[in-house]
Amino acid sequence: MDWSTLTYVGLKMLGINIAFVVVLMIVAYTVLAERRILALIQGRLGPNRVGYGGILQPFADLLKFIFKEEIVPDKATKFVYFLAPMIAIVGALMTIIVYPFGPEMNLPFVGVVKLVVAQFDVGLLYVLAITSIGVYGIALAGWSSNNKYSLMGGLRASAQLISYELSLGLALVGTVLLSGTLDLYQIVEQQTGYWWIGGVVPIPRWNIFPQALGFIIYLISAIAETNRVPFDLPEAETELVAGFHTEYSALKFALFFMAEYVNMFTVSMLAATLFFGGWNFPWLDLLVARGGFLFGLLSVVAFLAKVLFFLFLYIWLRGTLPRFRFDQLMNFGWKFLLPVAILNVVLTATVAFAIIYFRG
Amino acid sequence: MTTLIFVLLAGLAVGSAIALVVQRNPLYSAISLIGVFIALAGLYLTLAAPFLAAIQIIVYAGAIMVLVVFVIMLLNVEDAEHQPLRLGYLTAVAILLAAVLFGEAGFILYFMGNSPLEPLDPNMAGNPSNVGLTSSIGTGLFTTYLLPFEITSVLLLMAIVGAMTLARRVGLRPTDVAVPGSMVVPRHSIDPQAVGDATEVETSTTDEARRALGLANAPRRPEE
Repeated sequence: MDWSTLTYVGLKMLGINIAFVVVLMIVAYTVLAERRILALIQGRLGPNRVGYGGILQPFADLLKFIFKEEIVPDKATKFVYFLAPMIAIVGALMTIIVYPFGPEMNLPFVGVVKLVVAQFDVGLLYVLAITSIGVYGIALAGWSSNNKYSLMGGLRASAQLISYELSLGLALVGTVLLSGTLDLYQIVEQQTGYWWIGGVVPIPRWNIFPQALGFIIYLISAIAETNRVPFDLPEAETELVAGFHTEYSALKFALFFMAEYVNMFTVSMLAATLFFGGWNFPWLDLLVARGGFLFGLLSVVAFLAKVLFFLFLYIWLRGTLPRFRFDQLMNFGWKFLLPVAILNVVLTATVAFAIIYFRG
Repeated sequence: MTTLIFVLLAGLAVGSAIALVVQRNPLYSAISLIGVFIALAGLYLTLAAPFLAAIQIIVYAGAIMVLVVFVIMLLNVEDAEHQPLRLGYLTAVAILLAAVLFGEAGFILYFMGNSPLEPLDPNMAGNPSNVGLTSSIGTGLFTTYLLPFEITSVLLLMAIVGAMTLARRVGLRPTDVAVPGSMVVPRHSIDPQAVGDATEVETSTTDEARRALGLANAPRRPEE
């Protein structure tokens, strides 16, 4: 390997590390934010003792997870039992590399870099593929624990995930049809600029405006995919104790916990990337020159702000909505969401074809 | 570097395939099969076919194998582990077929080693191919190969309809017990002989169902 290859590999490694550290820190503080905001909604205080306003609570939790006793059930299928949390966390973390965090940016000592770890032809399909692998973490955890509650939770989770994966994928087809590419970086770049309504009123060129229906379908199925309220049947504590992770303790439980929050984060990133213009922020280029360091930094902030809004939405929903019943969940997914998603694909394809046809 | 990646992925594929056959526990076999699919997807990537790799994982590892694992979990098959092996003559056949396979592989390796590798089209030599990319596959599927693509879709649709037809309870066999307290149903749904007969039959008890079907004297199940 020559020098340039080594530099390339080193830079990619650095990029992966930065992305992972940033995402994991945000995830750790999402947990704290969830507890504080839930407390606010329910008229409590929430954890506010460790550090100023509870700012060190995530680290206290982590230490507690590390020092808890590891209990492995006697009748558990050991190999699969240890494999399952690994699949869950690896599947959750692997998708981070394809998301564009910011535009091309002129960094000191490095030169012009794109703030995306890996950019390739099938970025969106890669995300869907890794997401579909993540199902095994939950299903195998439920099976290998050799516990009735775990098994029921695992079964429910896999049934729910494979049902809502369909409408999730179909909801994304609309934006892919509009963009003509599966590369997430290019999809974001195409959302730069404005549409002029009637030639006067500018609106940002985000996919949410032509794909509002697709976005709503995506949001609902994404919440179901991450097993969050109101779709958290796999871990419904009133019926199943804790569902698939009933028998997991200490750090193995922490891995499932982290995987759930990382999944929430990546799903929010996908929503921001595909529907809300990624790092684009309207009229930012009037304020600072495009391509500079400050522009890049503000773009990253804009992207993270959009993602944090979706995370807040998750927490808000958890504080507001009750849980579905399982038959309601299945009926809603197969009889309502999937037909609407197919309708959205057909409508988008027709309109896109008509526009191309009449413009020549 | 490419060779190293190939050897790693090929080793994973072959190892998982062997584990798939050797394991007695059906769930371990299913996990090994997922390993095979993932390794194959990696091999597609090294062959510059990223679309195929992604679809391989989404369809095979992500959808079909999830259903297989789901069924294994639902049935919770554990007894198969303790049953004695019942392969018999199949072992000999397997060894013979494996010998044929290895002979074939050796044959190809021998002749590949003795013939110089030529690029198919001299104009294409050195140019990066876009055959495996999404847009070229899409263009191919919806223009040149549209008819085979549609025929395959119809074939899959037929399979789905067939599975639904097989899974549905079409008729009530004479030895079956009608659900007591059930509702008014069209006659053809409880009598396999009366295809297309939509006369309403009211069955609120098993005996009423039998009388309505004219099966009052038919033999009953032993446990009744």
